[in-house]
Amino acid sequence: MSRALRVGIGTAVAIAALALPHALTVPYFLHLTILACIWTVLAQGQNLVQGFSGYVSIAAGGFMAIGAYASALLSVKAGWPVWTSMALAPFVAAAFALVVGYPSLRVKGHYFAIVTLAYNLVIVTVLNNYESFTGGEAGMPNIQRPAALVLGGLQLSFAGREGYYYLVLLAAAAATAGGALVLHSRVGRVLIAIRQNEMVVDALGVAAWRYKLFAFVASGFLAGLAGALYAHFIGFLNPEPFGTDQSMNAILAVTLGGSGTLLGPIVGAFLVVTLPEYLRVADTYRLVAYGLLLVLATIFMPRGIVPMVSRGFQGMATRLAAALRPRPDPTP
Amino acid sequence: MITEALQQVLNGLAIGSVYTLIAVGLTIVFGILGIAHFAHGSAAMSGGYLTFILTERLGLGFFPAMAVALIAGAALGVVLERLAYRPVRDAPQINAFIIALGLTMILEGGNLLLFGPDQVVIPTPYQHVYTVGGLVVAELRIQVMLTASLAVAAMATFVSRTRAGRSIRAVAQNRQAAVLMGVNADAVATMVFALSSALGVIGGALVGALLAIAPGVGEGLVVKGFAVLILGGLGSIPGAIVGGLVLGVSEALAAGFISSAYKDVIAFLVMIGVLLVRPEGLLGKR
Repeated sequence: MSRALRVGIGTAVAIAALALPHALTVPYFLHLTILACIWTVLAQGQNLVQGFSGYVSIAAGGFMAIGAYASALLSVKAGWPVWTSMALAPFVAAAFALVVGYPSLRVKGHYFAIVTLAYNLVIVTVLNNYESFTGGEAGMPNIQRPAALVLGGLQLSFAGREGYYYLVLLAAAAATAGGALVLHSRVGRVLIAIRQNEMVVDALGVAAWRYKLFAFVASGFLAGLAGALYAHFIGFLNPEPFGTDQSMNAILAVTLGGSGTLLGPIVGAFLVVTLPEYLRVADTYRLVAYGLLLVLATIFMPRGIVPMVSRGFQGMATRLAAALRPRPDPTP
Repeated sequence: MITEALQQVLNGLAIGSVYTLIAVGLTIVFGILGIAHFAHGSAAMSGGYLTFILTERLGLGFFPAMAVALIAGAALGVVLERLAYRPVRDAPQINAFIIALGLTMILEGGNLLLFGPDQVVIPTPYQHVYTVGGLVVAELRIQVMLTASLAVAAMATFVSRTRAGRSIRAVAQNRQAAVLMGVNADAVATMVFALSSALGVIGGALVGALLAIAPGVGEGLVVKGFAVLILGGLGSIPGAIVGGLVLGVSEALAAGFISSAYKDVIAFLVMIGVLLVRPEGLLGKR
């Protein structure tokens, strides 16, 4: 794709994203779009670990829970301003990721996946049982939205869906930009080298564990941010949405969209948020249909949607160019 | 104090033998085919539900009902392998794992549709309780341990003594070499899934008799199964046996002496601790 075309498409998407609240007449659609933006943040974090370095972490839901509870507890129980608690929450989640990531990254492959799964279960169990602190299964109500901001005489309110939409859009864009920054840096190249052959990376004298740990902590940070955004959007927290199902949703978003690409997690996040809603029509068969879709997608488009579509476009462009090229005269 | 500890160890051995059954099924699939079969627990629960229906509605005895469910479960395992796992055999491992997640959803959804959301307990005639030197021994727990030991022993005998078992071991050691020696690797995959699912169904039925079956129980069970695999070493059958019993006993002791709400946390901390000290598992090969 030429640079001009890319810039053009990018601008069009940006304008569409900014104008979206005015175009969506059904409030529920805006609600879903906000969730999809939050899940984009989560999926971009998952992509850093799963897509770039090839390590499958099943702890995204758990780190999301830590971010959500950190922000909610700081603002509701400690009485801190929402902006401060929301800004701190990702760092809390990142600190947890650092502490648990350091030992667990000593193991590879399925071991790593299962250990992270265990972390997720531990986090949810503690949240469920440490009732005096978290409210347990009954949950924590009355989590406020962030206060309005005044920027150069312009009042920005986040109390309504529309205002909050711009906040999560910004977060999703920043997470994607962060992913792009990592991908095009030395760190990103090392991470991809780890995915391709970790032994070679070690043999070349690069301390692979540092890069893996960086990716894991960064993914914890983004999951924590997603959690904080979620907590203050929904206004109520209990441990239920942060189980292993949620971690699997993050894995699905990355895999369905296109693992290791920048656009993949965005497409994937919108899919995992909207697909179950579409399938709600057939509510009793929803779980079965979702699972079936997943199995079929993995078998028939193993690389994800984004790489498949872009390859399709490239193929079309090549064929188009070939058709337009003047053919040499066959007669001698 | 000592009696109470022994009591908890005994209780732990009963649930631990169920963990062992689930883990042995997982470990043969993992060790031979390299698949992290996450849907194993849900498949086991389908078998447990079927056992319940057969005993409750048709009046079959516990073991005849389990035998029927076992055959159905083995067939289900074969179908899953053939339709879902085989197409991604040559793809990266993560793809098989995603397939496993999809299958888990399908099976959990299917269980919900077929058997409803209610918790069920499989009725058994083994309700005696013996007291031996201050220890309370429930007949059901003894039956559970015996059944699990028999099933694992039967599986081990099959793998180590028969011609089919030898082909399984050959594929586990070196798939390519086995194929070159004329072993039918597809048939081995089918066989492994049939065996694994059959063991899983026994585990599901025993859980249903010992505790209860409900939506979500299967997922919890498969996670415990993987924890056992990590404890014992991925792909190792003796490791799965030891790991299952260790997990069951440490869970029971934790529930008895520390906190029953946090027993899962403690079980996973044990697992993480073992992994950090011995990443290859208690009995795994380095």
